[in-house]
Amino acid sequence: MTPRRYALPLAVVALWQGLSWAGLIPAYKLPSPLAIAQGLVDLVLVGMPPGHRLPSHLFYSLYRVAWGFFLAALLGVPLGLLMGWSRPLRQLVTPLVELVRPVPPLAWIPISILWFGIGIKSAAFIIFLGAFFPILLNTIAGVRSVNPTLPEAARTLGARERDIVLKVLLPGSVPSIFVGLRIGLGIGWMTLVAAEFTGVRSGYGLGYMIMTARDIQRADEIMAGMGVIGITGLLIDWGLRVLQRRLLPWK
Amino acid sequence: MKIRTLILAACLILTLGIWLPAAAGRPVRIAYLQADIHQLASWVAMEKGFYRAQGLEVKVAGIFKAGPEEMSAFAAGELDMGYVGEAPATVAVANHAARVQACAQVNTEGSAIVVAAGSPIKTVAQLAGKTVAVPGHSTVQDFLLKKALSQAGLAADKVKIIVLKPPEMIGALRTGQIDAFIAWEPYPAKAQTMKVGRVLIASGRIWKDHPCCILAVDQRFLKARPQAVKKMVKAHVQATDFINRHPQQALKIGMKYTGMDADTVRLAMKNVNYTYRLSVDGERQYVEFLSRLGYIKVKDSRAFVAGFLNTKILEELTGK
Repeated sequence: MTPRRYALPLAVVALWQGLSWAGLIPAYKLPSPLAIAQGLVDLVLVGMPPGHRLPSHLFYSLYRVAWGFFLAALLGVPLGLLMGWSRPLRQLVTPLVELVRPVPPLAWIPISILWFGIGIKSAAFIIFLGAFFPILLNTIAGVRSVNPTLPEAARTLGARERDIVLKVLLPGSVPSIFVGLRIGLGIGWMTLVAAEFTGVRSGYGLGYMIMTARDIQRADEIMAGMGVIGITGLLIDWGLRVLQRRLLPWK
Repeated sequence: MKIRTLILAACLILTLGIWLPAAAGRPVRIAYLQADIHQLASWVAMEKGFYRAQGLEVKVAGIFKAGPEEMSAFAAGELDMGYVGEAPATVAVANHAARVQACAQVNTEGSAIVVAAGSPIKTVAQLAGKTVAVPGHSTVQDFLLKKALSQAGLAADKVKIIVLKPPEMIGALRTGQIDAFIAWEPYPAKAQTMKVGRVLIASGRIWKDHPCCILAVDQRFLKARPQAVKKMVKAHVQATDFINRHPQQALKIGMKYTGMDADTVRLAMKNVNYTYRLSVDGERQYVEFLSRLGYIKVKDSRAFVAGFLNTKILEELTGK
């Protein structure tokens, strides 16, 4: 934690504020940092739309991401383990995965609304699509990176296949699974905002909040909302890294 | 000989191509809302050649799904003039996002709250606890819904208001995801002809003769090319008169631009009042109500209205 780490961001903010004061950056295109800070205060105290305050928006967004991410991990990790372990299964499923994976999660939005309606289910589905593939692919890669002599050795010592998957392959691929979880959560979080653009039933969500601020032409609140999304994403990733260090002290 | 003529012609076309637009001014960049029958005058002016008759070249620079999006395009400097709702334009100006003025009215009335055809909801008050879709925050319809609720003695937070784009509203109503929606015509009419919805209340009964869409002009464009703006307004007045005098022909143009059938467009046009006269009192009501909602902060609504409405161009044209 050296002061040098913060030097560049602080310099950028100072320069930005200076240019805004000097009238070189029009406020309607890019509000000054101080105006954005005021926007943040307004988001907390007044809310956007008025009455819908920031903490509730944040809570609803986290709730949607938690659901989508939880489902993605629940499905992605076991499937990844099995696909890493079984070559026929991998050969069977990979073409399907490779076909669906390049489709951007956002392209699913109209279908998602058709299938699940407007609400938590369709938002969770979009986030699930964003988070699932990184988790799956990293889990497969993790399993395949386990030294092949280890399961062989276990087998010669009389281990059952079940034990090989759970006691050899799973621990061996945990570091890679963690990478997948972190990427998946990051993409899920990014996808969320766009998923909320299309309408939410509760009237809460950071993406919805930004869209509303856009409707009401409040660039300061849009930027403040973007800041909240960025910082929350950073905190989530930091939390996962701490967890990783706890669980995998040898890494 | 032939080749020399060709080269000469090519040079001439090239020079003209470079010089003419600069001399006559580049095309006027306009915008309207997708399938919004309120803005029929812009389509009529294009189809009937009213812009061309004024010596104007017009380019459609954007077709938007809701007013706030169009105002963002104004803020980005992408538009010179546009057909847009009075509420989003007011909010964009009051929040210093776009610098536009209203130089003519486009229509009054023309929206409706629609419930499902078999819905037990008979009054606005019965919307308590229900989910109602609006095209966007700070749209005319958002405004009208909140006005209707307050007239029915309902606080706005007693109703779940969600944002849906009008083309998605009928589907959402049919599948029961929303209990009601408020939208501009022809969507209420379409919901009726599809037998999906029933009008709970037309917007003219929420607020009689309420101003709705305006012809907005970017202040920079007005300053740079006042004559072009005047001609645009003239074409708009002509188109508005045309709609009122020849509804049958206007109907056909409406069908072409909305892609909807004759019955729907006819029903929709019945709910819209086409006029170009700006209303000072109407705009003041918008400013005061939007301030009360917390969307904008305007200290002196009278001064704001005076700056927002540009009645001069119309006065010069119509002599009133």
